[in-house]
Amino acid sequence: MRWRRSASAAPWGTIACFLAPALTIYVALTIYPILRTIYNSFLQIRPRGREAFVGWENYAVLFADPTFWRSAAHTVLWAIVAPVVDVAVGLLLALCLYAAIPFSRFFRVAWFAPVLISYVVVAIMWSWIYNFDWGLVNLGLAAFGLEDWRRTWLGDPNFALAALIVVDVWKWTGFNMIVCLAALHALPREVMEAAELDNCGWMAKLYYVAVPMIGSTLIGLLVLGFIGKMKVFDLVWIMTRGGPLWSTETVSTYVYKRAFDWNTFDLGYPSAIATVWFAVILACVIAATAYGRRRPQLEY
Amino acid sequence: MPAPGIAGRGALTVALSFYTVYAVGPMIWLAMMSLRTTQEINLDHYGLPQVLHWWKFQAAWVNSNYGTYFWNSVWVVVASVTAVTLIGAMAAYCLARYRFPGNRAVLLAIFSSIILPPQITIISLFQVMVEYRLFNTLTGLILVYIGTQLPLTVYLLESFFSRIPQDLFDAAKIDGCSDLEMFRRIGVPIGAPAIVTTVILNFILLWNEFLYAVVLITDDGNRTLPLGIQKFIGDQFSDIGMVATGAMISIVPVILLYFVFSERIIQGMTAGAIK
Repeated sequence: MRWRRSASAAPWGTIACFLAPALTIYVALTIYPILRTIYNSFLQIRPRGREAFVGWENYAVLFADPTFWRSAAHTVLWAIVAPVVDVAVGLLLALCLYAAIPFSRFFRVAWFAPVLISYVVVAIMWSWIYNFDWGLVNLGLAAFGLEDWRRTWLGDPNFALAALIVVDVWKWTGFNMIVCLAALHALPREVMEAAELDNCGWMAKLYYVAVPMIGSTLIGLLVLGFIGKMKVFDLVWIMTRGGPLWSTETVSTYVYKRAFDWNTFDLGYPSAIATVWFAVILACVIAATAYGRRRPQLEY
Repeated sequence: MPAPGIAGRGALTVALSFYTVYAVGPMIWLAMMSLRTTQEINLDHYGLPQVLHWWKFQAAWVNSNYGTYFWNSVWVVVASVTAVTLIGAMAAYCLARYRFPGNRAVLLAIFSSIILPPQITIISLFQVMVEYRLFNTLTGLILVYIGTQLPLTVYLLESFFSRIPQDLFDAAKIDGCSDLEMFRRIGVPIGAPAIVTTVILNFILLWNEFLYAVVLITDDGNRTLPLGIQKFIGDQFSDIGMVATGAMISIVPVILLYFVFSERIIQGMTAGAIK
């Protein structure tokens, strides 16, 4: 950790005044809930405060719960596929903007716009696009003579998850593009110019110059994307509710269902799922950070 | 980047045009539907609006209760953004300017919670809100929103405050400024650009927030916009014209904000992502 020489000492009273509101909020609305959820995971909690200590039973049930494993598999798949596509496409778009194609200002705004739209609206638009009778996807397939390929995209267990991931990618690519673009602009101009003098081709320049130089940003984006997708909820909940036949169930929607949507009214079991998932994400982040530390930083 | 050949350039133009249609097409389509009646849409889903039915916005606002959802969203977002900005700025300033044991630990703890999955807190937040009679109230939602946005706010502002030169503060100290005055008269004005960035970023994130709202709010009169739209789809899925109008009501403020502050929004998002 860097330690700033510029910082000055201050009386504890002042520090307490500045920090008290934030720490109160932090402890009351983050630390305490985390601990309580972990504690809850050892209980069975029925309405009107009827609680019973069940030890590791929730965890035992969890490990034998096929729906949990399916939802975990879907979530992990999503968390790996979506960030890779987001970052790859985002990088390509950023390179186009960096090369100052005509109308780049317009393109930058247009490509970024989906990031700003709420999941609810995104979900509505795309469930229309996937509509069987008049959705753009099926109309497009029919226009190319591929009537047989038409599907109820969100109603078909084989395609629903992929359809949702496409929507997620649509929403987030612009974000990755903007971050890549910022990273490219932060590179010293000479590097790219030198590559230009050496008559590097587009692909070569992409592969040997741009990608390694903004490598840490790309990895950062992948990690950020991974963490984000491990929490994915809104899109699934509004578009498919985890259906059909659990084919789009994610850990978040499953927790939500078990806690608030089914009439089991048990908060203990979903707490166990949340706790396990928290541990999984934490482990992934720690592993990614350790890996990031080990990699030598590219100097420029 | 080298200029690709004519063929390459042509292919690139086609690819980028396609991508642009893919990126903004759905939104333009939605905007068109928001001005057409459901009958018109059912006749031709991709037609241009022949007559601009602006009255639909008023109908959505009044009959479909979007007015209530809109003002609920405004109140919740304005209150929580104001509070989180003030609380976050004070904490960030303190962590950036003062040296004390535990400084780094507090900072690390606060912003490591950016990675937390919301499920780990949401079940017990639900319990807490019920216990303190804050369940189904906008006040409860505001408190939760302050908590969720605090880490990001502290993270962004701390890095900004720590770059203000110490000399300014030393000079102020000689002039007899108290610590609180220094925050108010030096920290806040110099930090203003960063503060504006966090305000806009938090505004957009909370304006679109869904998960906490859907868990903590069940009463129709307390719904925020995303919940209102979702409820409307559930109730009247066939009335797609009205759904589109409601969706536009929730998009417009964000788009306006983006047109005015696009640079700041991008700064905030990229600062949060790469550092």
